[in-house]
Amino acid sequence: MSALNVTAGFVQLAFRNLRGYKLRSFLTTLGVVFGIASVVTMLAMGRGAKEEILREIDKLGIRNVIITSVKPAETKGGAAQRTWVSAYGLRFKDLDHILATVPGIARALPVHSYAEQAWFGSRKEDVVVQGVTAGHFDAVKLKVAMGRDITDDDNRVRRGVCVVHLGLLRALGWFGDPIGFRLQVGEQVYEVVGILEDEEFRGLARQALSSPAPSQGEVYAPYDTVITRVGLMSYTRRSGSFEASNVEINTVVVEATNQDDVLVVSRMLRTLLDKTHDVKDWEIVVPLELLAQREKAQRVLDVALLTIAGISLLVGGIGIANIMLATVTERTREIGVRRAIGAKRRHIVGQFLTETILLAGAGGILGVGLGWVGTFIVGQFTQWEARFTPDVALVALVVSCAVGVMSGILPAWRASRLDPIQALRYQ
Amino acid sequence: MSSPASEMRGAPAVGAADAVIDATGVHRWYGEGDARVEVLRGVSMRVLRGEKVAIMGASGSGKSTLLSILGCLDRPDAGGYRLDGVDVLQLSDDEVSDLRLRRIGFIFQAFHLVPQLTILENAEVPLFYAGVPLRERHDRAKSKLEQVGLGHRLHHRPSQLSGGEQQRAAVARSLVLEPPLLLADEPTGNLDTENGKAVLALLDRIHAEGRTIVMVTHDSAIAERADRTVHVRDGLIVDSAHAPAGKATA
Repeated sequence: MSALNVTAGFVQLAFRNLRGYKLRSFLTTLGVVFGIASVVTMLAMGRGAKEEILREIDKLGIRNVIITSVKPAETKGGAAQRTWVSAYGLRFKDLDHILATVPGIARALPVHSYAEQAWFGSRKEDVVVQGVTAGHFDAVKLKVAMGRDITDDDNRVRRGVCVVHLGLLRALGWFGDPIGFRLQVGEQVYEVVGILEDEEFRGLARQALSSPAPSQGEVYAPYDTVITRVGLMSYTRRSGSFEASNVEINTVVVEATNQDDVLVVSRMLRTLLDKTHDVKDWEIVVPLELLAQREKAQRVLDVALLTIAGISLLVGGIGIANIMLATVTERTREIGVRRAIGAKRRHIVGQFLTETILLAGAGGILGVGLGWVGTFIVGQFTQWEARFTPDVALVALVVSCAVGVMSGILPAWRASRLDPIQALRYQ
Repeated sequence: MSSPASEMRGAPAVGAADAVIDATGVHRWYGEGDARVEVLRGVSMRVLRGEKVAIMGASGSGKSTLLSILGCLDRPDAGGYRLDGVDVLQLSDDEVSDLRLRRIGFIFQAFHLVPQLTILENAEVPLFYAGVPLRERHDRAKSKLEQVGLGHRLHHRPSQLSGGEQQRAAVARSLVLEPPLLLADEPTGNLDTENGKAVLALLDRIHAEGRTIVMVTHDSAIAERADRTVHVRDGLIVDSAHAPAGKATA
């Protein structure tokens, strides 16, 4: 007798038996259905979150350490300072210093930015002009969708060109060919040479780089052009008074040669700046650290959710075991008849175990279906990304069958131990 | 699946060469010490191949226990029992199950068909336990049911059939593996006269095909159709009457 024949026989037998108890079978599986559905949804959500993080890794420039100049907290009375020019932040010599002393740096790209208004006809938009060097887009994972990048040549000859988002031009009311458009920013004119790909997703690095202005309102121009044209001073109107500030470098994007060095590099940068700056007029953002925090939080959440799902699955399994025990009692006489006819104990075990596994397996299939719907609903009504994949379904089915085995063992064993004579006489 | 019985066919007791049932000094009791109740008190019984024997006795006489032991559902506490030459007491639970499967057909007073299965599926049950392949199970069960006149009822549930039809289905089920011995416990007890007659006629036919039948009954009219009748009283065989054309020993 081949194993396949026996298995097929037990499955056929189980189907025939369960057919006699349709409603009960359905209700019995419900516990597993919901258990598996929640497991599937949890796994899908976990998978989605992981993918989101991975995509962030890709977009972040995970090897970057971003140093930003920040205005130090005012320590003296405000009135006296009002007319002063405050000079703070990263200086040119800091950049040289960093490059000279910190090892493991592939490149350190300075950014000089200032806030201005772009205008076209009667429309105005707030923008941040970012003076960047060649390689900046590559380092912060910005992509040029149309036209070209900012080059070394642009910087050398201080060309008045820029790369923007198409949305800025649309907001200003320009719907013609963006390349070659002469963008008026304050008193300067920059010719658009490239259009950035729209970010369907705003990475943490970008958030660190471009706040507080909206990313749409960024005008990327050659670093040297910006320095030459507008100088290092920037003026901000604040509560009726002008405030002038002198910041040589607003941001430095430091790229480590490899990912393992990022944390070391960031530590060294901190130490260096601590030593050379009297006040804390700088800030370091390490995307890798942010990522690690996110992943840690995600893992905690994953474990919590899966524990809850696992508990509901356990409850479902106990439900099946309970019903199967009752079923064994109810079908005592059938068991006696089968034994009298010539069933061995293992036949009885096989019969009830197969029935239980089939119930749990059917519950698993229904649960995967429900979980798939659940995943879809979660995706629709929340910001969370949930990703339903076939391997999640497979895991769920295997788990549900395992639940079937676990909850079937006791009832099946008990059924096989019944005394045939007493079982036959059972009313 | 190899039959353990064939290997165990040792030298049988003298004169038992062709005995299907050979029970000697069978005791069966329940409880211990003072509370011990002896249900069988040394029953010896021999049934030859092709015989048809009726067992009669009042309720409580021990005839049901005797039938359980003969059918290998129960084991004697003392004494010996050989079925078809095999020493039943030496066998494991699995081996005894196999013996019931292949050498004994059971017919019960209450039919005992599995309620959630169709007649055909019921008849397939022993074939499954015997490891007969799926398709063959179906064909063999079907042909047996046709032989007992239930070819038109194959896909009915037991509850949809009359008592007589159910008992015929049970007979078909007991015969699918062609066992040499048929044990019937009050096979007509739950049937009206008409259906009872039909079932008895069926048993006669099976007997005529050469099968050994042992039947418990309390109806002397039915017992008269047997080759001989064994009377059980208080756990002992009190009388073993031969039918007129008797060919048996006891």
